[in-house]
Amino acid sequence: MSRTVYILGGHQTDFARNWTKEGKHISAMIREAVEGTLAATGVAAKDIQVGHVGNFAAELYSMQGHLGAFLVDVDPAFHGLPTGRHEAACASGSIALLAASAELEAGRYDVALVVGVEQMKTVSPAIGGDYLGTAAWYESEAKGVEFPFPKLFGKLGDEYDRRYGLKDEHLAHISAVNYANAKRNPKAQTRTWYMTEAHACGGGEYNATIGGRIKISDCSQVTDGAVGVILATEAYAAGWARQRGMSLDQLPRIQGWGHRTAPLRFVDKVEAAKDSPYVLPHTRQAVTDAYRRAGIADCWALDGIETHDCFTTSEYMAIDHFGLTAPGESWKAIEAGVIDFGGKLPINPSGGLIGAGHPVGATGVRQLLDCARQVTGTAGGYQVDGARRFAMLNIGGSGTTSVVFVVGRDA
Amino acid sequence: MEGMARAIKKVVVLGANGAMGSGSGAVFASAGIPTVFLARTRDKADAGRQRAEKMVKSTAISAFITVGSYDDLEREVAGADLVFEAVAEELGVKQEVFARVDAARKPGSVVATVSSGLSIAAMCAGRSDDFQKHFCGMHFFNPPTVIVGCELIGHAGTSPAVLADVRELMAGPLGREVIETSDTPAFCGNRVGFKVLNEVAQLAQEHGPAFMDALIGPHTGRAMTPLATVDFVGWDVHKAIVDNLYANTKDEAHAAFALPAYMQALIDKGHLGNKTRDKGGFFLTTGKGKEAQRFVLDPKSGTYRPAAEVKVELPAFVGAMNAAIRSGRYRQGMDAMAEATGTAADLMRKVVLGYVSYGLARVGEVVERARDVDRIMGFGFNWAPPSVLVDALGARRTVALLERAGLPVPRVVVEAAERNLMLFDEPEVDRGRFFFASAA
Repeated sequence: MSRTVYILGGHQTDFARNWTKEGKHISAMIREAVEGTLAATGVAAKDIQVGHVGNFAAELYSMQGHLGAFLVDVDPAFHGLPTGRHEAACASGSIALLAASAELEAGRYDVALVVGVEQMKTVSPAIGGDYLGTAAWYESEAKGVEFPFPKLFGKLGDEYDRRYGLKDEHLAHISAVNYANAKRNPKAQTRTWYMTEAHACGGGEYNATIGGRIKISDCSQVTDGAVGVILATEAYAAGWARQRGMSLDQLPRIQGWGHRTAPLRFVDKVEAAKDSPYVLPHTRQAVTDAYRRAGIADCWALDGIETHDCFTTSEYMAIDHFGLTAPGESWKAIEAGVIDFGGKLPINPSGGLIGAGHPVGATGVRQLLDCARQVTGTAGGYQVDGARRFAMLNIGGSGTTSVVFVVGRDA
Repeated sequence: MEGMARAIKKVVVLGANGAMGSGSGAVFASAGIPTVFLARTRDKADAGRQRAEKMVKSTAISAFITVGSYDDLEREVAGADLVFEAVAEELGVKQEVFARVDAARKPGSVVATVSSGLSIAAMCAGRSDDFQKHFCGMHFFNPPTVIVGCELIGHAGTSPAVLADVRELMAGPLGREVIETSDTPAFCGNRVGFKVLNEVAQLAQEHGPAFMDALIGPHTGRAMTPLATVDFVGWDVHKAIVDNLYANTKDEAHAAFALPAYMQALIDKGHLGNKTRDKGGFFLTTGKGKEAQRFVLDPKSGTYRPAAEVKVELPAFVGAMNAAIRSGRYRQGMDAMAEATGTAADLMRKVVLGYVSYGLARVGEVVERARDVDRIMGFGFNWAPPSVLVDALGARRTVALLERAGLPVPRVVVEAAERNLMLFDEPEVDRGRFFFASAA
């Protein structure tokens, strides 16, 4: 039987920072995430047995590869640490988490450090948009296209519209909720920005259309950020908990996971999904895989969700794919206030990718850390009252790689 | 007791056409509070409203804004819960406005000034008891929509309950990082900040602006270099602040507030920094784009030399600081500053440690806690808060360095050294955001 994976805590950098303006190299981001994680958890550097880094495109943004090795640079105790770097576009952080947890489950190691990192403000928005295009099938979907991803996720909205109908005001509500939630999160990129549902519904100079039905208010942000977490097996976690006067079952653990990959091109996904009531059936499969592994029947066993709202349409998709509504009826949960902070099943109390920010390779790790904080009552201003179990969905590409984790504690 | 934040149902901004008026108005309207923009003319107030839209990048904000001229002052003020004054920074002008407000306002309404340094007590002298009880300073930094650090200042007669309520409004719906300061000249941020800026300007007379600005550059914990900052805020504003401090404070840094004679001579000739583009300040740029040419002031002659001809040779330890900061090794960067020898190192320590010393010594006089100084320097000036520098250097070493430099050792630093404590008290704030490396 595989070993249980516990989450001992972690650290998130302030997503409002611009590390290029600070004159910083990506190694500084990794260093702050690691030092912050060690300080937050009280785990000694010498106790870390393996390191995994999630990152999408440092070769493009920072002319830098081989990011695993930068962990070793942080502390002399890390010299010799086995490390690696993982990439699956915007799901890179989750792939690093899956790799680390697989090693712990298999019994290779007992303590793993996982860092997700992306420095994106090194280049102009147009060049950055082109780099992000490599998360699609670049030659056929992104080459020569200005801001390809808003257009691809606009098409996701169009597919909903074609099948079930889609109203833009429901997307505007998603945007407004994420921005409002971000105001409670001291690490959120947009915490001082102005956004209301009225603004998100409007257009004009300050809310221009970026591609298809996607306006500025529908988009997640270009973000610099790094996040670290420490995962551990019972062999280490039990002693760690005891030192803090806690029992093992008070620690958050990964209760279930799902990981599925759909065809890379969006048109191929749509074609492959034509007989499914779900627009992205592989994403739905990742959700149900995670539910099954966690031993839960449906989303109502959850107290909240951190989902991948790279655009409002992807959160709209997540609502029915997590099973809050029947396929195509996400709007019902929106209108009923289910997803609001304080709603029946809040989505993105952190502000999500739209409000908190989306440093691509760091997002999955940030989501897991937020889930762990929620279920341990340590999420501060954006704490969902009494949360015991959370789920997260991290997506790479246009719904291509989907990773879901269910995080909870038993006592 | 019901929080006052809920009782503020209408704000009137006076001087809503200016940068501070329109920016502060944008902050009120952003919080969904109906806000009246008043200016000399209705058109000017409307220009302020448009500026507010631009600052928050949304036309939706105008749903909360109405505009008018000073002809409407009495009528609008009568219904206001908060009157926010942002007219010209002249005591006489403000007093005149406050007399009109006093006659028109409803009892219990708050009256606040955005003044960056005039005496709060002097501004409300002669006003009614109820006015004085409800009068305070709400000092926002420019642009208020971006810079969240701000100061709340009461005078001896301000009701503590009013201050508590205004603090709640600022920290809550307005999303401010607020500190309370005493009604002392230039309050906290500008007193500590302009001490540094003017000291660098003084040192530039001997060492040159290009050298001083490079030496006290981003690696000493600031996004913008000191003399570029003075050019940015304007030499007239700089003069007003340091003259006020020189005339009205008597502390260990008194000499540092004396405006350099070369600056006064250039101000007399109309050199006010970036706002006088053709004349410049410490720096002058002619032409645009590829044609642009940068010049640097020679304080001794009052003339400008091409920047390319002004050689700035920084010692190797500055490179070591930058390299360490660039890869996130902030303590190592501060080690390089602490351990370096030579004239440049002494100059850097004089300014940087002088800032730590002067800033933290204001605890007990201008503010209550080190955290207050840290907040306003971090979130108002975007400078490394003094406590962040102390923690990076180590409190014990900071004490030794201050003593060696002949600078007063603030009590809070002594305590941190004795008890081996970290001084910076903002667990949610990344310390790293305050360390900058110069462009590689």
